Amino acid sequence: MPGRIVEWIDQRFPLTSFVKHELTGYPTPRNLSYWWNFGFLAGFVLVLQVATGIFLAMHYKADVALSFDSIQHIMRDVNYGWLLRYMHAVGASAFFFVIFVHMARTLYYGSYRAPRELMWWTGQGLLLLLMATAFMGYLLPWGQMSFWGATVITNLFRATPFFGDQIVIWLRGDFTVGDATLTRFFSLHYLMPFIIFGAVLIHLVALHTVKSSNPSGINLADKDNIPFHPYFTTKDLYGLGIFLIIYSIFVFFIPNSLIEPANNIPANPMQTPNHIVPEWYFLPFYAILRSVPNLVGGVLAMGLSVIIFAFMPFLDRSRIPGGARYRPIYKLRFYLFVLDMFILGYVGYVPPTTQTILIGQIATVIYFASYFIIPFISVKEDAWLFKRGLPPEVMALIEKEALDKEERKQKRLRRQGDIT
Amino acid sequence: MSNTSSEPISEQLGDGNRRDFLIKVTSVVGGVGVAAACVPFVASMNPSTDVLAKAETEVDITDIPAGGVRTVAWQGKPVFIVHRTPEQIQSVSTTANALDPVPDSQRVQHPEWLVVVGVCTHMGCVPNKEGLGWTCHCHGSQYDDSGRVVRGPAPKNLEVPPYYFVSQNKIIIGKVA
Amino acid sequence: MRTLLKIVLLSCISLSAWANEAVLDKVNLENDLKSIERGADTLMGACHSCHTLKYVHYRDLLNFGMDKQKVEAWRGDQPLDSALVAQMSEADAINMFGKAPPDLSLMVKAREGGPNYVYSYLLGYYQKPDGSTGNHIYPETKMPDILNSGGSTEGKQHAEVQAQARDIVSFLTWVSDPHEAERLRLGYYVIGYLIVLTTLLYFVKKQVWSKLN
Repeated sequence: MPGRIVEWIDQRFPLTSFVKHELTGYPTPRNLSYWWNFGFLAGFVLVLQVATGIFLAMHYKADVALSFDSIQHIMRDVNYGWLLRYMHAVGASAFFFVIFVHMARTLYYGSYRAPRELMWWTGQGLLLLLMATAFMGYLLPWGQMSFWGATVITNLFRATPFFGDQIVIWLRGDFTVGDATLTRFFSLHYLMPFIIFGAVLIHLVALHTVKSSNPSGINLADKDNIPFHPYFTTKDLYGLGIFLIIYSIFVFFIPNSLIEPANNIPANPMQTPNHIVPEWYFLPFYAILRSVPNLVGGVLAMGLSVIIFAFMPFLDRSRIPGGARYRPIYKLRFYLFVLDMFILGYVGYVPPTTQTILIGQIATVIYFASYFIIPFISVKEDAWLFKRGLPPEVMALIEKEALDKEERKQKRLRRQGDIT
Repeated sequence: MSNTSSEPISEQLGDGNRRDFLIKVTSVVGGVGVAAACVPFVASMNPSTDVLAKAETEVDITDIPAGGVRTVAWQGKPVFIVHRTPEQIQSVSTTANALDPVPDSQRVQHPEWLVVVGVCTHMGCVPNKEGLGWTCHCHGSQYDDSGRVVRGPAPKNLEVPPYYFVSQNKIIIGKVA
Repeated sequence: MRTLLKIVLLSCISLSAWANEAVLDKVNLENDLKSIERGADTLMGACHSCHTLKYVHYRDLLNFGMDKQKVEAWRGDQPLDSALVAQMSEADAINMFGKAPPDLSLMVKAREGGPNYVYSYLLGYYQKPDGSTGNHIYPETKMPDILNSGGSTEGKQHAEVQAQARDIVSFLTWVSDPHEAERLRLGYYVIGYLIVLTTLLYFVKKQVWSKLN
């Protein structure tokens, strides 16, 4: 009977062939390491956030007079409300953690290289959407940190030329962060995940066009690709188990470690807490903002620090595939960059003192410099590595890519010749 | 793609029973977990403790005079508490109600106190106290001072909620002792 | 390089200095029904006249398993569903102390240091030379030394004040996160289950992949 139903559907909709082609039989490089689990994990956390969020929204009230109370209502009176809320709050951090690892893997293995630029850029768009969603969600509990975080971040738009102040008021719908701000943030916080779903779909369509990159950086022969199911379904599920254990430790045993104490005080527009910090996942960018002693400059530097990732396919001039795998200097640069992120995170967390500001400024310079030197080091490194010698399969790929490029150029020239 | 031949994956992998058993056990354990994970989500839609706290209403009836009625909210519905006079008690002992016949004695715990849910059993309007008994203005149903229907269209008597006397002058509606 | 190292070291020192503005006493809470109930008792006597706990209701105390007669005595003629509202009106309190006493429902969660902060604060009073009292932990406080910790610095009396403060903190800790015990209990089951599931998944994965090599 099920077979006949499937047959009936298949005559009208490509169900079986779609499942076989894109899901179960989807060819995947067999040498993917566990670093390739994080894309699946990000998708899982997205679903988890949407599920807990929908149920929280059944009890939450977006109104400056009620929202703080409604969170306490969820935490105290709603059946398992505390669990849903802690899952959602920890889930936000988990989302960023998973995405950061996913990005770090892409940077390390050079997965942003041609032909995967669109994957990298849709991913960059997803990061921005995720940041916006997290930022707006953080206002909803209407605690002191919520209020002052939203105040500071909306104030960044004062850096807009000519209309700065008007834009800030337009964003807030009020002269300060107020009821209008809260209700619109709630509306958009509920909307964003669905836009993210759409963007994820585009990300996946691109993935299924160019296929997964792999740690060797070399396009594998067909014999080295294996079907997604059962190999990567089992591998992803095993990774999910590990993830859930760590996630549950946070949810059940240390859920308040990620919630600032000051956010348990209702928002008070008349008094700023002594020490305001953003959530940990914004700290490096916040440190860059603070390091520039000028409003417009700081905002520009912070904005650039977030979107500079997108330039990687242009900055990296190397012809060697596989990212850090065959390139010691690029690898060194990668680790220095990660270290620099940690230093910036630390600087963003501590209250500004003369020393921390200086450290932050040095780290900010290193942050940007580490991108701007990539074109130079990649060319120099290539020359050095070619002289020293590379594995034959890497050389073969480089030659093939060069040939393809040349062929495309010839074709284009011929077409132009035909027209004229 | 040489591994993705047309035969089903389970046959490709061979090594029959032990693997099948492991996969079965894992599927069952995983399924139980997914089902358990649904529990908090479903449970969160049940009434919360502050709503449940309203399931019982405590009423001090000291200052309801004889012949007086107090309307209190219980689970969001109106409840009439009537301190009946001897005449009222007399009137309900003789009323013949053919629509939903129940003797008055089965509807009260103390003859001088009547406790009924003030929701017409016809379409859910709240009847008004008029003389002896109530009249529902939506469709004209009438009830006597025992809350029994004496004229349609209402099909049934006013509901008696669960309640008990904590003391002489205090009742709790929503629970039996 | 040496200067850089110096800066890093200095900033670490400055960070730790900032974190420990005032050194907090560590309090070991018993967190059982008895100590929480004792804390409620002390709080209803010592704090409740000025402080509200707006997210805590008398019914919550009953549901938690506190003695029915005690709860009845505390609530008087207020309904069970009523919150623990201060006896003194906020306007009177502002008149008397210059500012409204804060709500205590979330006090433990709302302070860096949590229970240790509240405990140290309650015991942080001392007598100034001019006869007035000060507080080491929160010098700007307007609250009088309600447990008389400043006046009883030694011996049996001191131990008694410490015990009272500990009970109050037990109660406030429970109140700030009433489902904590349930959360921890559930947590052990969930993680135990996940470890079993993940182990199974590991073997499934291993077996599936073993066919490849």
